[in-house]
Amino acid sequence: MNDREAPPLALREAVARDLEPMQALAPPHVRALWMVPVALVLFTFAPAALSVRGDTQKLGFLLSWGASFLETALGLGIVAIALREAVPGTLISRRIISLVWALAIGTVTLITIMTWRVSPTPLLQDGLGFVWRVCVAGTFVSALPALALSLLLIRRAFPLRPALAGALCGVGSGLLADSGWRMFCHFTDPAHVFGAHILAIAAVTLTGAAFARRR
Amino acid sequence: MVAYQQGDLTAFDRLYRQLAPCLRGYLGSLVRDPARTPDLVQETFLQLHRSRRAYRPDLPVRPWAFAIARNVALMDMRSRSRRPQTGGELPDLPVLPEAAALGDREALRHALAALNDERREAILLHHVWGFSFAEIARLVGVTTSGARLRSSRGMADLRTALSNGGAATDRSGVRW
Repeated sequence: MNDREAPPLALREAVARDLEPMQALAPPHVRALWMVPVALVLFTFAPAALSVRGDTQKLGFLLSWGASFLETALGLGIVAIALREAVPGTLISRRIISLVWALAIGTVTLITIMTWRVSPTPLLQDGLGFVWRVCVAGTFVSALPALALSLLLIRRAFPLRPALAGALCGVGSGLLADSGWRMFCHFTDPAHVFGAHILAIAAVTLTGAAFARRR
Repeated sequence: MVAYQQGDLTAFDRLYRQLAPCLRGYLGSLVRDPARTPDLVQETFLQLHRSRRAYRPDLPVRPWAFAIARNVALMDMRSRSRRPQTGGELPDLPVLPEAAALGDREALRHALAALNDERREAILLHHVWGFSFAEIARLVGVTTSGARLRSSRGMADLRTALSNGGAATDRSGVRW
């Protein structure tokens, strides 16, 4: 052993002071399974506790529950990507980051357009503010448990780009929340979906980025 | 690394002996301030220690350690609010096998110092420390083809610099 390559005494002492055994992290897709119970609750809570949207028959299974299931799967996938991003040496490329944003926005846009075409339900002018507040707050608040859990999971790793990992957790959690909330909200007007539901997902994304930065 | 995660201090010593020399070189090439390098090596090992849970035994250790070292260097440069100075000090790097024929060691160091930061980093990671392009991609957060492009463009820049530099000579003493 070369003495020059021995760890400095102060470093070795610092390491020795805090050297309890710890279990290595599981791969990201396995850790993402922790999100499944929360995702299931979010998927079913709003339609079960409040009411199921009235146009489910008109929309058919694919555009109602099927589209929500797609959002849930996408949300879980994005959280798994965030968990991978949070491990040093497995950073995701800018191309994948762009793809995630495009996929999230594209999926919600596609679902919005298709549901609007099959079941156009515009907002009434007198209830505009109330519905907007309910949907923004409902989506945002219901996303918070998923966001908290996903941020806890990335914190257990060691994110080198915490804001990015937190933002990805936010998008994923927002999609998980919206998958359930859209089964309660029957207003398919794109102005409402983009102005309330997607705004709420964007707010969850920013919240995730802001909280993840605070180590 | 697994033994270190299990709380074995001698495993940390072994890890330090294996990683410290290459991390020193890598950190030196990033911050280009020899006076800062020992502190950054220590800080890197402290962060490795704090994040040892995040290491996955199914993955190689070096990309994980280099990624943390890179972050330590970036944080240090950010806190000092300055970019590395072009033409600044470079650590005593091994001569790149692929570039050895292009010029002598000193000319090569100067040419490397003048390279674009991203390209120099990709060249050193691939040619000096033996990372694959896929590992470099995951370490710096680009695509595999992006990492390959940085390295190949860096090598092209290096060839141009050494052939146009005037002062650069090859090992047989012939001026380029």
